[in-house]
Parts: sequence; structure tokens; C-alpha cells
Amino acid sequence: MMQRTIRHLLTTAAVVIVAMGSARAADDAASYFRQNCMSCHTIGGGRLVGPDLKNVTQSKDRAWLQRFVANPKSFLDGGDPYAARLKEEARGAVMPNISGIDETKASSLLDMIEQESKLPKSQFAGLNISYQPFTSVDVANGRKIILGERHLANGGPACISCHSVSDMAMLGGGRLAPDLTKVYERMLGRKNLASWLQAPATPTMRPLFVNTSLTNDEILSLVAYLETTARQPQQASDTATLSFLFLGLGGTVLGFIGADTIWRKRLRGVRKPMVRGDK
Amino acid sequence: MDVRSQISMVFHLDKCIGCHTCSIACKNIWTDRKGTEYMWWNNVETKPGTGYPTKWEDQSKYKGGWELKDGALRLRSTSKSKIVFNIFHSPSMPSMDDYYEPWTYDYGELFNAPEGGDQPTAKPISMVTGKYLEIEAGPNWDDDLGGSRIYAANDPNLEGMNEEQKAQLSAVERLVMFYFPRICNHCLNPSCVAACPSGSLYKRGEDGIVLNDQKRCRAWRACIAACPYKKMFYNWQTGKSEKCILCYPRLETGQAPACFHSCVGRIRYLGVLLYDAERIEEVAKRPDEELIEAHRSIVLDPFDPAVLSQAAANGIHDSVIEAAQKSPVYKFVKQWKLALPPHIEFRTLPMLFYVPPMSPVMAQKHGDVISHTSDDLFHDIDQARIPMQYLAKLFGAGHEAKVRYALRKQKAVRIYRRWLTVGDIDEATADRMLREADTTRDEAEAIYRLTSLCPFEDRFVIPPMYREEAIEMMQDPLEAKQTTGFGFMEGPARGL
Repeated sequence: MMQRTIRHLLTTAAVVIVAMGSARAADDAASYFRQNCMSCHTIGGGRLVGPDLKNVTQSKDRAWLQRFVANPKSFLDGGDPYAARLKEEARGAVMPNISGIDETKASSLLDMIEQESKLPKSQFAGLNISYQPFTSVDVANGRKIILGERHLANGGPACISCHSVSDMAMLGGGRLAPDLTKVYERMLGRKNLASWLQAPATPTMRPLFVNTSLTNDEILSLVAYLETTARQPQQASDTATLSFLFLGLGGTVLGFIGADTIWRKRLRGVRKPMVRGDK
Repeated sequence: MDVRSQISMVFHLDKCIGCHTCSIACKNIWTDRKGTEYMWWNNVETKPGTGYPTKWEDQSKYKGGWELKDGALRLRSTSKSKIVFNIFHSPSMPSMDDYYEPWTYDYGELFNAPEGGDQPTAKPISMVTGKYLEIEAGPNWDDDLGGSRIYAANDPNLEGMNEEQKAQLSAVERLVMFYFPRICNHCLNPSCVAACPSGSLYKRGEDGIVLNDQKRCRAWRACIAACPYKKMFYNWQTGKSEKCILCYPRLETGQAPACFHSCVGRIRYLGVLLYDAERIEEVAKRPDEELIEAHRSIVLDPFDPAVLSQAAANGIHDSVIEAAQKSPVYKFVKQWKLALPPHIEFRTLPMLFYVPPMSPVMAQKHGDVISHTSDDLFHDIDQARIPMQYLAKLFGAGHEAKVRYALRKQKAVRIYRRWLTVGDIDEATADRMLREADTTRDEAEAIYRLTSLCPFEDRFVIPPMYREEAIEMMQDPLEAKQTTGFGFMEGPARGL
């Protein structure tokens, strides 16, 4: 009698723990999806750069999906026909290897996607963005955000510290990251760009914005601004390169002159002046 | 008391004939490699003269050694703040021209020269650029040029002497010179070690030899600027600094360093000194006039039981203590007070000491007779052709007392020996001179013996280094026995 009670209690406890565990796994998978996948995929929101994942588990067998998600690059390199078709559909965009993913993680993601697919409206259905023209206020705000004149609400860094946009000041901004002038075209429009900005997933941007994500207002302004720059006729970005070159050369010359002045008392040889009889 | 042992040296300048055999011995063993052509770890300078590199003693230019600032010792060449601004370029380094551009000769010219009116000549060719060059300077360019208006007259040690004294040094029949052989001083307070940003320079624990780890050296060249004696050299080929290693591989096998071994005039002495490492900083901070005495006081008596027990506690082997007790350096430096450190005002506390040279007296001319004698027995020390002030600059931090003491004692020993062997001086005079020079017959005899009749074993008292035991800690000394013959060690290379 006693034993049976204990066994019963233990079984209940085990069930509760497993249930809690799987609930937590689902939460983890959702937040992981938000940070890493949402910039290219929706669930039931239509295609972005990557395909809509709604009911993806029904269109391809699970084992394949699991291995593909864990290491997409190797599939593409390995010449898998289905993967090649996906690449074609994405107009050449290739799914990168996502950091911190393995087959277990991939499996829990697929579970989560399956769950979300059953819902009438998934939390990952993507942004609803209007196709009305933006107002000039939005554009101006976007420019301010890029320049860092307006701080990001959640404390992210200003775009210009790494990126450049052609109509910015003399040098067009930082040179560490891609030029954003035509990013609107590269990202194939508003919806894609906005989704990307929700959770930028590149290895450089992800750690910067994982805890300081952009607000919807900011995203709207940025998209507005980037759309305007992309539609403007291409300015001569050569000017920026040239002025960068000349500034660099000028700076170097000035640096040399400055160094020569600061260290003018340095040792310039002892023997020759002595033999010449200089004092 | 923190007793340590140091292999220490004495150069007896009164015996140096300036033959450069030491320099050649060193060159042939250590600096005949590419990148080291210009280096002379051992060089012999003519004094008065500007030396190698040119005017190395002039710290207003080269910024070597320590200075006392607000009661603290500071490197002249660098500091935590200076190093930020000079991180890519140390501003006080000798250029190649200040050493010299090393050259060899194109001997082919001797055979290929077209027939002409002159003898064919081997053209000098640079060992750095490989192009023909016009030789303008060499490592001993002012050799024997005492009295030269360019070299002797620009000797930094002449600073503070009046025009008359300077004129005298170059006057016909009065000009004078002596030789000043130099190696690394293996200082107690080495500024090169202090300046090294990569920590590659170190003072070896067991014998105080200052060495540069060729693997850790990162070519900052802070040591080149910091060494006031300019005895750190930079090898452009390997990208590492190099210096005199006191032939430690020879010492470890019981042989004297090459320059010591080959010395024709037997001017070089080598032996162990025990010193109190706790007092180094305190001593290096003394005012100039106290430095020599303080430096001497840091050297400990190897017969004192308190010193011996501390030495044993510090792990100094009995055989090293035995060597310290027989050390000729201890006698010259501490007992007889004849040997003096060079330029102790640089405050690196050099452990190479010099017995200052006697010089010819000023001759007096009475009619046609040239006389060299006088009633005052010591007069020619103060009236010698090398002004006392000059020697004091070199060996006394500008103060004459210690130099005069050493010279008087040397003179007294000469008079005493003259009484014994020639007999034209009477006993009373000899004894009076000994007394006035603060010495005794026994001491004079000992000085005479170690100066004049000194075989290898008296000049070089090298403690056994137990190298085979020391390396056992890291590897089996017999590991490669019967397996390898002559081979190549890993050469130094630029980079990590």
C-alpha cells in the first residue's frame, strides 16, 4: 500500500517535471526563433527572404529538416537537390549556420513551429506594414536615428558608427559594415527590411541588438528613410572614397609634421655634427 | 642582509697597452654573424677621446642610466608616460653613424684592377648595404689620437676643465692618452633591465651576469637607450638586442671569458664578490660624492661569519664562497681600494672596476736638462699629464679624493719596489711613502705580486658552476649521448 502510494507520487512528480521541462523548452525555442530566425522567416506571414515556415513539417520529412537547420551550409555545398531549389526560390540567398544550434535545438524549434502552425495567428506572423507612402517626418526621424542624433529607445548603438549611407556628411559614415544606401532594394522591400530590423541576425549585429532591440516606431522611421535613399538617383559614391583618400593622405602628412615638431629635440646623430664642428 | 654572489671584474688600466686583442677575441667568438658586424661587445678606447659610440658618456644626448629626482631613481630614457609617446620610436638612440658603418674590402680589386700608374687597392665595401663606401669612421677611429682637436677635444669628461687645462692636453710634448677597454659592466642596478618592456633582460641569479633572452626580446630597443655605457646592441638581422654575455659558456666550463683569457697585458682580473642585495636601492640613491664609498660598502666581507651564514641561507654554494675568499677583485676593490667603478654617477652600480692609470709626469726643463724628479714624492700625481680632474670625471663621479687615494697607493708601491730592487731610494723614504699612502709593506708586496706576477689562477678565480647539475633539473645531460654529433641550435628569429 505504502509502496504504491510512493510510486504514484513519484510518477506524478515525473510527469509534472517533464511537462514543465517541455513548456520551458517551448519558451526557449520561441525566444530563440525571435532572435535568430525572425529576420528571414515568418510562420503564416508569407515569404520574406526565407520561406514561410507554416506547416513546414508537413512539406518535408522531419529528419531532413532537422539536419538542414543544424547545418544548412553543408547541405547546400553537398549539392542536395531540395536545398538547391530553396536557394533558387530565395534568389540566391543562403541560410547561414546559426550560432548555438545543434540537432536537439533544431528539433525543439521544429516542435515549436508545428505548434505555432496550428494556431490561427502565430506570434511570428510577421509585421503588418502599410504600403502607403511614408511621411517626410518619418524620413527625417529615420535620418536622425541613423546619424545617432536621436538615441535609440532601448539603448542600441547608432547605425553610422559602422554603416555608411551615401547622403551622410562628407565621409558617409563608418566603413566597418555594408553601405546602407541601397539596402532597401537588396532586402526586397519594406516587409523584409522591417522584419530584419526587428531582430538583426548577423553575427556582428545580433550581440549588439539582442538586448537592445529597436522599437516599432524606430523600425518604421528607418525603413522610411532607407526607402527614400534607395529611390534617390545614385549619388557619386566615388566622391566619398576620394575625399576619404585625400583626408587620409592629408592627415598622414600633418601627422608627420606634428611628430617631427613634438620630437624635434630627438637625437639626430652625434658624430657628424661633432666632426663638422657644430656646437 | 640578502647575500648574493656576483662574478665581478677589475681592469688594471696602468697595464693596458691598447692592443685590441680582447676586442678581436670577442669579435671572433661572438659577433662575426650577420647583423652583428657593427657590434663590439668589448672595445678599447683611447682617452681622452670620444669613444664608441661617439660621445657615449654624454647623457644629455643619449639619456642613459638613472637620475635622482625627488628622492626617487628614475630612468633618464623612459618612464611610464614617456613610453606612450615614444612607443614607435625611442628618441635617444645612437644611429649607425654614431657606431660606424661596418665594412670589409673588395679584394677582387687587387687582381682585376686595370694596369695603371698606381698600386691596385682593395676597395672598402659596406657590410650593411653591400655598396662601396667612403670610410668616415670606425669603432676605434680615434685610436691613439690623444690630442686630436676633433676627438680628444670633444671628450665629454673634459667638461668643467678650464681652457688652459684643455690646451695642455693637446700641446706638443705634453699630450697624453691612455686606454680604456670596456665590456658590459653587469651592473647591480642595470638600467637596461629596468627599461625592457618585454622583460627579456635579466640578471642571472647565481652569478649576476646580465643576459637578454633571445626568445622574449621584442625589439623595443629601450635597453639601447637606457644603458649609459651603450653596451646593448641591436641586431637588425634577427630583430633582437644582444650584449656581452661575459662568455658564460666559458665560465661554466671553468675558463675565463675570451677577452680576459687573451689579454696580452694581463690587465684583467675576474672573481666573485658577495654583496647585499637589500641595499642596492639605498646605495644607488646616495649623493654623488658618497656613491663610491657606498658602492664599496655593499660588497660584503667573505670571511665574516654573519655574511657566511646568510650566504648559506641564500643557497650560495661553499665553493662559491671559497672563490669569493680568493677573489682578486675583492682585494682590488675592497681591501686595497685601488679599483674604482666607471662613471658611477650613472647610478647603475657597475660591477666592473678600473684601477686608474698612472701617467707620465710633467717634465721640468732646467737649461738643457729635462728633469722628472721633485722633492715632493707625490707631486707628479697632481702634476701628471692627465689632470686629476679628468680621471675624477671618469672614475670618481667628479670627486678627486678616491682617485687620488688609488694613485698614491700605486705610486707608493712603485717607490717601495724601487727601494727593494733598484736601491736608489732609501728605506725611510719608502716607508714614509707607504705610510702616507695608507698602506703597509705586506700590502704593497701583495699589490705588487697581483699586479706584476699574476698567473691565470690568481687573475681568474672562477667558481665551479655545476652546470651539469643545473641542467639536470630540465633535461638529462646524457640524453643525446651517442646519438647526435655537431648540430644546429635553433637560431633567433624575428617575431613571437
